[in-house]
Amino acid sequence: MESAFDTFRKLGPAAFVVKAIVSVIVAVVLLLGFILLRRTYRKWYFANRDARRFAIRQKWDALISGKIPCTAWRTKASERQLIEDMVLDAFEIANSEESVRLLKFMRASGLVEKRISEARHHKGWRRHRALVALARTRAPEGIPALSEGLRDRDSETRLAALRGLGRMACPEAAKEILNWVDDVGLVVPALPLQSALVQTCGERPQVLLPHLHNADKTVREVLGRVLGEVASSSLGPELLQFADDDLPELRAAAARGLAYLNPSAAVNVLGELAKDAVWFVRLRAIVSLGGLCHPAALPSLLHGLTDSNRLVRLRAAEGLVDFKADLAQIFEMVVALQDQYGLHAFLTAVENAGLQTSLAARIQTSPRASSETIQSLLEVLRTAKLSPEPPAPQESIRVKAASQS
Amino acid sequence: MIHFLDAANHALFFYYLLSNVAYLAMLVIALRTSAAHLRHLECIRFDWIKASPMVPPITLLVPAHNEEKFICTAVRNLLDLDYPEIEVIVINDGSTDETLPIMQKEFRLRLVRAVYVPQAMSAPVRGLYRSDVDVRLLVVDKESVGSKADAVNAGLNAASSPYVCVVDADSVLERDALLRIMVPIMADPKRVVAAGGIVRVLNGADIEAGRIRRVRLAKKSIEVIQVVEYLRAFLIGREAWARGNMLMIVSGAFGVFRTDLVRAVGGYRPFAIGEDFDLVTRLHRHLLEKRTDYRIEFVPDPVCWTEVPSDLRSLARQRARWQKGLLDVLWPNKDMLFRPRYGRIGCLALPYLWLFELLAPVIEVTGFVTVLLAAVFGALSWSFSIQFVLFGYGFGTMISVGSVLQEELTYKRYNDWQDVARLVCYCFLEHFPYRQLHMIWRLQGLWQYFRGDMAWRPLQRRGPQSVDGDKAGSSPVAVS
Repeated sequence: MESAFDTFRKLGPAAFVVKAIVSVIVAVVLLLGFILLRRTYRKWYFANRDARRFAIRQKWDALISGKIPCTAWRTKASERQLIEDMVLDAFEIANSEESVRLLKFMRASGLVEKRISEARHHKGWRRHRALVALARTRAPEGIPALSEGLRDRDSETRLAALRGLGRMACPEAAKEILNWVDDVGLVVPALPLQSALVQTCGERPQVLLPHLHNADKTVREVLGRVLGEVASSSLGPELLQFADDDLPELRAAAARGLAYLNPSAAVNVLGELAKDAVWFVRLRAIVSLGGLCHPAALPSLLHGLTDSNRLVRLRAAEGLVDFKADLAQIFEMVVALQDQYGLHAFLTAVENAGLQTSLAARIQTSPRASSETIQSLLEVLRTAKLSPEPPAPQESIRVKAASQS
Repeated sequence: MIHFLDAANHALFFYYLLSNVAYLAMLVIALRTSAAHLRHLECIRFDWIKASPMVPPITLLVPAHNEEKFICTAVRNLLDLDYPEIEVIVINDGSTDETLPIMQKEFRLRLVRAVYVPQAMSAPVRGLYRSDVDVRLLVVDKESVGSKADAVNAGLNAASSPYVCVVDADSVLERDALLRIMVPIMADPKRVVAAGGIVRVLNGADIEAGRIRRVRLAKKSIEVIQVVEYLRAFLIGREAWARGNMLMIVSGAFGVFRTDLVRAVGGYRPFAIGEDFDLVTRLHRHLLEKRTDYRIEFVPDPVCWTEVPSDLRSLARQRARWQKGLLDVLWPNKDMLFRPRYGRIGCLALPYLWLFELLAPVIEVTGFVTVLLAAVFGALSWSFSIQFVLFGYGFGTMISVGSVLQEELTYKRYNDWQDVARLVCYCFLEHFPYRQLHMIWRLQGLWQYFRGDMAWRPLQRRGPQSVDGDKAGSSPVAVS
């Protein structure tokens, strides 16, 4: 009986093709076999993991309360990993009482300690993973290890440490980040840094102030933006010192923060900032003035309506529309500005607020205006086009606005 | 003559060798990048990103022309995406059906004076509508000039977010797709100016209310072959090119761009045939000329599902159009070739596209002719020829199998193992006669371009609601 190889030899040059076809078939079978085996293994793995999770869930309270000693599972890597994942998942959605219990469990079982150790001693993606897990615990004792992660050579690890510190959301974490930025400058992209600082400085924005004075220009810009996000009434008059800072970011931050001060103290400074040379400073000032919703802010908001920047115009219009009670009179003043762009922005804001019908009704029932003025204003409202001869705004309104400014 | 044929055949052999070695290199790079990306994903907490106070808003631009059957579901799904701040702008591109009235009724649209700054060229706008049901929805009603780019430009003019994402109305985005595609941008917003996600084949999947219920492989061979093609193009090609910051295409069906930059280059070119490729090339040019440090990223996990042609006629039209689009972009940008000013784009990415994409059908046909002539003149070594064909077949198959294997080892969207088995089998079967047909369609595209035939030929599509619709016996609709 001749072998398969003899048959091949008889085929001559065609044997090569046959060999190729056989190879292809073998390759397909091997590949499919590999995929099938892998899928079977994964199916078994996930079923097994789900079963173990279910078993852990059954004895959850005993585990968390420490009735089941942690020595029973801590040395088994897969068991420990599973429990840690479950605890961290539960921790992220827990109420304050439950989170205290879970954090206590993580500390007592050594999970936090282990992650701190890994975050300090591992390298590469293992360190990265440890930093993320550590941040998920939100345990303050993890802050030094996360802070060390900021000085890692790998940019991904630095970002993970930064995000982790942001997750801590406490002033201690902010101090670590700020000290690091003071030391090394801006070595991560600005947005994650800003994000982390906003999260950590929210509780006590004062931590930013000393660094704002000492940092270099690029870092000051970032810190200025952060200050703009977190500024609160607790900063009080300290914000005023930034209103005439050289850096527009800080002036913008001051403008934003001033919205939280007493309107009578803030309006004048904001009015000045609303005339700033830099558009985003004006924008911040106008937004803050709009937020104050104080009659003294009206002249600046009306001025903002004639701004060269459309975002400023839009925000000024939105601020004006918030004066719902005086909308008809404000509309009259807007028309008197004789600025088509300003009128357009105002009408856009009116429409977006769904106040068009209400404004028309108010104009019609305006007791002080003449019928000619009413018709003219309604025409402007309908066509969104300024008439050649605008109606003069009522004296009473102008006097009111001027006196309040 | 014999010497010429011999030289031509040798040149052909080296051309194939170079092309396959390039793809093999891309496969290796893509496998390494995927492994790193998966490890990176393990450490990413999407809930942290979502909760970040600095998440940049995104405007989704949805050009819609005669999409009455599924526009409402598509818009609802987009508004329901898992991302903190989105604005959806639907551009009704002169629809002649009930697209606008249906939306007006469903979303209670009212005419508004929203900000519209005509920075990018576009046909006249008839009106802007804001929804009373969801203020995040804005509809731009414009006249049609038969160009998707023109419609996208109109949306771009009305966009108010720092990032725009163009989405086809008949595509389905996964719920967390925006969050995932924004990861590289949020990590480095100054450098990353655009990011593209992966586009996968919708055909065959079970869909409920415009959302994927179960991923299945399509039944028709022509659709399965396209699945292999898409896996190869995205999981190997784009992954590898993006690794070297040489990504030349961010898919028109799903990509995020920085709004100011798109506006700075004048938006989409209104009558570009391959508007997505054209925009990315112009962005590269603009940024390289300004010597900006930038990146255009590809993110393989955010998924956009899109329907692919299921009949040969539509597929032929699509591929001819792609080839026309390729030439339409490469020719005006030929001055970028081998200019040090344009870095790797000019020295590597564009030459590759010229040689292995644009000229490939011409070289292949020339190759067939020279091999045939060599056979006629008796100058062909049969054993060499067979080895050559088998070598090409083996190499090509290996790349396709590599992409399927990568899918299986990483993202694993096809849960049914029979689907994977079919995919593997089609890796071996796609070479005859599909590749030859593909070559002819691409040649047709080039021929049409040189004849000046730029007409848009509608593809036969059924839309993402069609699976339910099919059960109810609805007929296919043609959409452009």
